[in-house]
Amino acid sequence: MMADSSSTTTTIKGPSWSFNWVGRIGLGIILFWALVALVGPWFSPYPPGEIVDWDFFGPMTGDYWMGTDYLGRDIFSRILMGARYTVGIALAAVTLACTLGVILGMVAAVAGGWFDMILSRLLDAFNGIPSLLFGLVVVAAVGSSIPVLVLTLTAIYMPGAYRFARALAVNVNTMDFVTVARARGESTPYLILREIFPNILGPVLADLGLRFVFIVLVLSGLSFLGLGVQPPNADWGALVRENIEGLSLGAPAVIFPSIAIASLTISVNMFIDNLPTKIRDRSE
Amino acid sequence: MTKTPNNWTSRDDAMVENMIRRGASRRDLLKMLMSSGVAAAAGGSLLMRASSAVAATPVSGGTLKAAGWSSSTADTLDPAKASLSTDYVRCCAFYNRLTFLDEAGQVQMELADTISSDDAKTWEVKLKSGVSFHDGKSLSAEDVVFSLNRHLDPAVGSKVNSIAAQMTEISKVDDLTVKIALASPNADLPTILALHHFMIVADGTTDFSKANGTGAFICEVFEPGVRSIAVKNPNYFKEQGAYLDSFEFFAIPDNNARVNALLSGDIDYAAAVNPRSSRLLDGSDDVSTLVSTSGNYTNLNMRLDMNPGDKAGFVEGMKYLLNREAIQKSAFRGFAEIANDQPVSPANRYHNPNIKPREFDPERAKALFEKAGVLGTEIPITASDAATASVDMATIVQQAGSQIGMNIKVDRVPSDGYWSNYWLKAPIHFGNINPRPTPDILFSLLYSSDAPWNESQYKSEKFDSMLIEARGALDEERRTSIYWDMQEMVANEAGTAIPVYISNMDAFSAKLGGLKANPLGGMMGYAFAEYVWLNN
Amino acid sequence: MPQSLQPWFLVIQRLGIALLTLVIVSFAVFFATELLPGDVAEILLGQAATPEAVAGLREAMGLNEPAISRFVGWLLGLAQGDLGNSYVNNMDVAELISGRLSNSLKLAGLTTLVSVPIALSLGIGAAMWRGSLFDRIVTVLTISVISVPEFMVATLAVLIFAVWLDWLPALSYGVDVSSLSAMLKAYAMPVIALSFVISAQMIRMTRAAVIETINTPYVEMALLKGASRKRMVLGHALPNALGPIANAVALSLSYLVGGVIIVETIFSYPGVAKLMVDAVSTRDLPLIQSCAMIFCVSYLSLITLADVIALLSNPRLR
Repeated sequence: MMADSSSTTTTIKGPSWSFNWVGRIGLGIILFWALVALVGPWFSPYPPGEIVDWDFFGPMTGDYWMGTDYLGRDIFSRILMGARYTVGIALAAVTLACTLGVILGMVAAVAGGWFDMILSRLLDAFNGIPSLLFGLVVVAAVGSSIPVLVLTLTAIYMPGAYRFARALAVNVNTMDFVTVARARGESTPYLILREIFPNILGPVLADLGLRFVFIVLVLSGLSFLGLGVQPPNADWGALVRENIEGLSLGAPAVIFPSIAIASLTISVNMFIDNLPTKIRDRSE
Repeated sequence: MTKTPNNWTSRDDAMVENMIRRGASRRDLLKMLMSSGVAAAAGGSLLMRASSAVAATPVSGGTLKAAGWSSSTADTLDPAKASLSTDYVRCCAFYNRLTFLDEAGQVQMELADTISSDDAKTWEVKLKSGVSFHDGKSLSAEDVVFSLNRHLDPAVGSKVNSIAAQMTEISKVDDLTVKIALASPNADLPTILALHHFMIVADGTTDFSKANGTGAFICEVFEPGVRSIAVKNPNYFKEQGAYLDSFEFFAIPDNNARVNALLSGDIDYAAAVNPRSSRLLDGSDDVSTLVSTSGNYTNLNMRLDMNPGDKAGFVEGMKYLLNREAIQKSAFRGFAEIANDQPVSPANRYHNPNIKPREFDPERAKALFEKAGVLGTEIPITASDAATASVDMATIVQQAGSQIGMNIKVDRVPSDGYWSNYWLKAPIHFGNINPRPTPDILFSLLYSSDAPWNESQYKSEKFDSMLIEARGALDEERRTSIYWDMQEMVANEAGTAIPVYISNMDAFSAKLGGLKANPLGGMMGYAFAEYVWLNN
Repeated sequence: MPQSLQPWFLVIQRLGIALLTLVIVSFAVFFATELLPGDVAEILLGQAATPEAVAGLREAMGLNEPAISRFVGWLLGLAQGDLGNSYVNNMDVAELISGRLSNSLKLAGLTTLVSVPIALSLGIGAAMWRGSLFDRIVTVLTISVISVPEFMVATLAVLIFAVWLDWLPALSYGVDVSSLSAMLKAYAMPVIALSFVISAQMIRMTRAAVIETINTPYVEMALLKGASRKRMVLGHALPNALGPIANAVALSLSYLVGGVIIVETIFSYPGVAKLMVDAVSTRDLPLIQSCAMIFCVSYLSLITLADVIALLSNPRLR
């Protein structure tokens, strides 16, 4: 009965719901931060580590646009420098974690059997190792550098992406159109790419958006394990953390990095939320 | 209430309080304040705040809730193992020492009645009579012999094993007399016995899950890593026992949370608050602060036996590259005193005031680095949150270096395992040294050729022999002059750069009375519970 | 095998595998701890760690026995329900943990009660009225809430409700919890802070999973044929999305036992997360292992439960 409703998915065609303004704003902000990450350091008025003011948690002034931090360093310069680390590391880690997790999750769901069983349990076991211990071991074993940081984040966030993608794919895998495709004799890669993937893309992207937020925030926590960005640079989360005492004073030093984080993470999710229809339209 | 001036800080409060203690009259103080531009009305209210903190009649009763900054499952009631402020506070409440140091840094007798020696080698300790432990047993010589001997047993894991090692014989003479023989003369023994680790426990104690001491409080609850609750000891041997009925101590590791808990009235005492919180605390009338500088410091160690510390001129160059004023003002917000690269602080009576701190002089540093042949190379510095403010200090040095073409790379490593993996080991790293009461302890722990923590691997035979000579010298003047020379040697020759002595700031409810600064550290040398009271 | 018994067979099989996973994790944690520099004697002595002192203390603590044999001994003890003694303070690990575990479970339980119903209804609602104003508001609020670092949410809450307004205590432990209202006051801030952190994932994933099921041809057909949207979502889309939703909820909740270190620190609440941090920093193997086992058991039971729900909710998977 359902076999005739073509091999792929969507038949709902709302009024051409292309790239709406929310998505466009999201994309705009993402591009803005990406640009800052690339060229920002050249425009920064002061070196990120220089103490420019004897005072601390200074207000916004003509010299220091976003105030000064707990040591008297210029927050504006530090945010410009931090963009590179925050955007770069989070983007690299989330892409790696989700790509790997989603591919493995789909393969496990389609292949099933022992492969699924062993991979799932292995990743469960890996998730069972406390990440504090894992982080410390990484530092002790291979030391600290940006690639190590990205890989550690990938390792921590991949099992979750896997579990969620697999749960979605398992459901789709039992649907009639997949059964039909399988009966047609389509190969496993075809099933995964053409049948399963388009049908779990929405939730998977939503998951990616969330993981991106988590990674941006966890970066500063890792620097306490010696894994983070090394001084004088700092990621945005670290800027919030090191200036948190300014919160009770309403210091711009803690407010602006928080705004930077929020603007980036919200726009990534906005963008993702308004993206799927377009992609799905294209896959038709 | 009248507003305090904008630029008035808790440091100024402490200064005024100090003047009152030294006996300055209200008129003197007002004159001083007016001359520095404080309006009379505001000045008056400041003085009220300060004098009510100093002169008040003690009140008995009440429960004090105090929060320190660190606590873990390793919390212990065994004085020999005590390692953190939290342990010291509890041990001070439950036990007593033979001696203690008062706020002027002078030795006072506690459980001991007298401590005497003719040659500084053989000592006789006479104990007070009528002292009893919480379980009712009376204090006798056996308890002292047992307590001191424990430090020599490696199985105990005593923190002062290396200091106690000089006691070659500890024996009972009669019920209230103990004889201590030393390997070589040491005139400092009464001061050494004031260290927190030398608290007296009952003979034969092996179980430290509850404290059985002679102290002003009895341990009611002790959960390591959680909290302790102490109640007043009704049979305390001192004439004036504790004012408080009970005393609860736990840790709030996050500075902000500790300050907020104090401001909201959930605790009465927040120990060691960050100087950056001073701006917030100054805005509250319900809270006072106490600042004490006791010789705690974070230092930059360059190992003299490793590259680049072994290159002539490098260490001196780094000492000139340290911007001490920036460290004092920015990293510590003024709550620090500029130091002169040697460990004996102004709080100690043997401090040599003639050694001037090195000026910040990047050009001179550059010339020295050029001579050492390291200009333009990458110099890694290991820093960690484990050593107070070391990451900030490293950033300040890094910035200064970048102005003269020195590429200093900061390696921020985890606090976890810092003391066993990086401290003493990395070629250039930071250390953090707690105050010690005597130059002898500082020098023999940190600078003699066989010192267990010789941070820069400084070796000098001349220094070693001076150390031994001063240790046995009963003549104060001779001792002082040797110690002054030794401080000069350390400042010029050792690879340890000590930029500032860090002040400690405790914040507490304005209801709290009786608190005074002490050279052994914050919280009145950790012993505050016995001496403070809560006004209603 | 009769058709009806099969799911139960699967459940039993999963329990066996979970046990095996525990053993594997335990070994992994052991090797990880061994990889960390320094041992308990060195760390306890700290700056006083001279080689002789370390050797003496190691001897006294019985640490000279090879680590692996100590570990196997601990594992055998565990099989008989004995968690061993802490190296650091020689207390029974079970005694050390029990009080703090019940604290953690109390906090986790309350947070679950508050956050799961709210998160699920918000997520389903947002999916049902996709693209509406309600959906937009829920989305923006959800993302804003998790974009703020956890320590900032907690600190801000203390600042507002304890310091400025003086409505709630700044600490959650050791305060008066005798009456219900006092207890609610003590737990209000940590529970809200934690709910903020974990709800977002549940809301977002629920919404996404439900929307995806609405998009499947079956539901679309039914909708085209005029079935009521609400009935389709609750009656057909939701049951089909239950698997992924259960997984998202399980992943979020698993955070509540071991991951709440920041909330425990800021509200001075003694739970197992801080216990684990202490244990790792002192290399206290029996305590590390016991905490790791607790985290792992809670994680495995949650995801196993999620998998079972997924199996039961989708007849075709059986």
